[in-house]
Amino acid sequence: MICILALVVFGILGIFSVSYRAIAKEAFDCVFRRITLRKCTTGLDKRLKSQITGKLMKRSPKTAKFVYTYFEAISWFFTILLIASLAYSAYGAYNYVMFGNCNGQQGGFCVYDVFAGNKTEYSTCAPVAAAGDLIKPEVTNHSFFGPENAELEIIEFGCYTCEYTRKAQPAVEKILETYQGKVKFYFLDFPIPAHEKSKELAIAAECAGQQGKYWSYYARLFRLETPVADEQLYQLAEQQGLNVDAFRQCYLDRETESIVDEDIALGKYAGIYGTPTFFIGNHTHVGPLSYKDFKKIVENELNS
Amino acid sequence: MNVEKLRNDFPVLQKDVVYFDNACMSLKPVQVISAMQSYYENYTACGGRSMHQFSKKVDEEVAKARQTIKKFINAKSDNEIVFTKNTTEAINLIAHSLDWKQGDVVLTSDKEHNSNLVPWQQLKKQGIMHQAIQSNKDNTFNIENLKKVLTKKVKLIAIQQTSNLDGANFPIEEIAKLAHDNGTLILVDAAQSVPHMAVDVKKLDVDFLAFSGHKMLGPTGTGVLYGKYHLLENLNPFVTGGETVVETTYESAEFEKPPHKFEAGLQNYAGIIGLNAAIKYLMPIREEIHEHEVQLNKIISEGLKDKVTIIGPEDPKQRGGIVSFYTKMDSHEIALMLDQQNILIRSGAHCVHSWFNAHNLQGSARASVYFYNTKEEAKVFVEKTQKILALK
Repeated sequence: MICILALVVFGILGIFSVSYRAIAKEAFDCVFRRITLRKCTTGLDKRLKSQITGKLMKRSPKTAKFVYTYFEAISWFFTILLIASLAYSAYGAYNYVMFGNCNGQQGGFCVYDVFAGNKTEYSTCAPVAAAGDLIKPEVTNHSFFGPENAELEIIEFGCYTCEYTRKAQPAVEKILETYQGKVKFYFLDFPIPAHEKSKELAIAAECAGQQGKYWSYYARLFRLETPVADEQLYQLAEQQGLNVDAFRQCYLDRETESIVDEDIALGKYAGIYGTPTFFIGNHTHVGPLSYKDFKKIVENELNS
Repeated sequence: MNVEKLRNDFPVLQKDVVYFDNACMSLKPVQVISAMQSYYENYTACGGRSMHQFSKKVDEEVAKARQTIKKFINAKSDNEIVFTKNTTEAINLIAHSLDWKQGDVVLTSDKEHNSNLVPWQQLKKQGIMHQAIQSNKDNTFNIENLKKVLTKKVKLIAIQQTSNLDGANFPIEEIAKLAHDNGTLILVDAAQSVPHMAVDVKKLDVDFLAFSGHKMLGPTGTGVLYGKYHLLENLNPFVTGGETVVETTYESAEFEKPPHKFEAGLQNYAGIIGLNAAIKYLMPIREEIHEHEVQLNKIISEGLKDKVTIIGPEDPKQRGGIVSFYTKMDSHEIALMLDQQNILIRSGAHCVHSWFNAHNLQGSARASVYFYNTKEEAKVFVEKTQKILALK
């Protein structure tokens, strides 16, 4: 069974390096013989078994003995695991081609969330559970970027400290530039509780909004490396031509926290479970989008 | 012999590695590497052809090497030393160059390396028969069995001096005497003996003797065929072409005298020069090598004898530097697991497939030591091998 694993692993490595091709050929020969109900005569299985056991002997003789004794069973286990992984990957690839997301129509992230904190209702910027139906929120009274009577409305729920929201930001900015005049963009704060200062950054952006500089501050805020110190927020305010004292006062007194909380409430109502979540016309997408994919969706919505 | 001091001459030994595959390939000291490097850096040229100073220097160095080898094996003349690629080529030279007659017989032992078996089997097409002499139960040579098959039809006894399978030595002097009394020639495969003990071709009174450079500190691609001069003179040319002839016309060629008659084409000058350095290195210590190897063999044999079957005679003294063993665990598995622990040995049939097939065995694990190996290494080898054997 180890030969099947070897065929896949060394077959892939063999694409890049000639030194693995001979082993891949041996593995293929071995697999072919087993499929045709003949004995594998290359000795590859024995070699791999010995090399793995030999390596383990240096660290743990007991583990080495276990692996040596049950090598065939272990090989079976990993082979089944490999086949299952390959099947799952193929399913993901199919979904990606068909729906632009490896989780299929229900959306969600394709990657493991390395930023996961405590898993509360919306504790992370990656999904923690299967997506329920998202409800597009009513944002009539919310501030926005773009013309009032734009053809398409884009709503983003995002968090300044979420890696995925930050990853999505360049594509968002490019879309707004490309479709200037055609798109009305709403950014709704959905700070992740597990992330340090995530809500504070949202409050700071809203404080900038109090002085009419929300969108420039918002864009600059995404360019700062996290964690962001209060002093950096003040410096940014100064760079944006804000009244820094008023900004500091607003920020320290959390004067705009109620605006952020309203966004969070809208997010909860909408069923947001991870950031960024986009409502692009009638299309909903969870997770960062490449500019190419984003553009494709925008075009579809504009043409529909 | 100061082993620790000698080990400093071997760059590879400065690594954390136990090298116990010396029956296949020896390591190289800096003296050999430097000699070859000097050829490439200072006087790379053709020998025996051009008239310039580089070429002259090459000729001198090759002549020196021939002289060194002559002394090393106590040959009568430099002209009895033919450079070859290795032992295999030297044996093939004899197989292809002797004046065979249909019905001639070649005798070998029953545990010869393929290089001293296949060339004789190939002569069957010319009506030459090959016969293997059965060994004793402990795999030592049975001289009585030789006497039984030594008929007047036996033209050649081609036999190893030391077995690469189990390290056992053959009574070459006695075999040579029997051969000559019968009017038979004797060719000795000395690939495993010359690197480990003093070999005196005059004392042994052998007609031909072949050995390789790479098993005795020398470079790969170097070997030697010794032959009594009058016998070499009567051999037919083997590989022909440049260097083997004095003169040619469109219709014919006048061949050189030995050894040049057999040294066709441009020679491995760097290799020959390296081989010279290797033999010079071995000369002062070779009398002590065998005893040192036996000491290591004793440690290994004592440490493993209860858990494995050692091929060959029980007494380590009779097995020199080789411990070849098998057990219920596959020999390749043992070797690969040892390799993971930086202990390098050989596994498999060691090019003696015929013996393993006759004994219905898959192969053996073979530890072969040399003078630069230490008792500590032997103990580590035993300890690690015991742990591996305990897996099954």
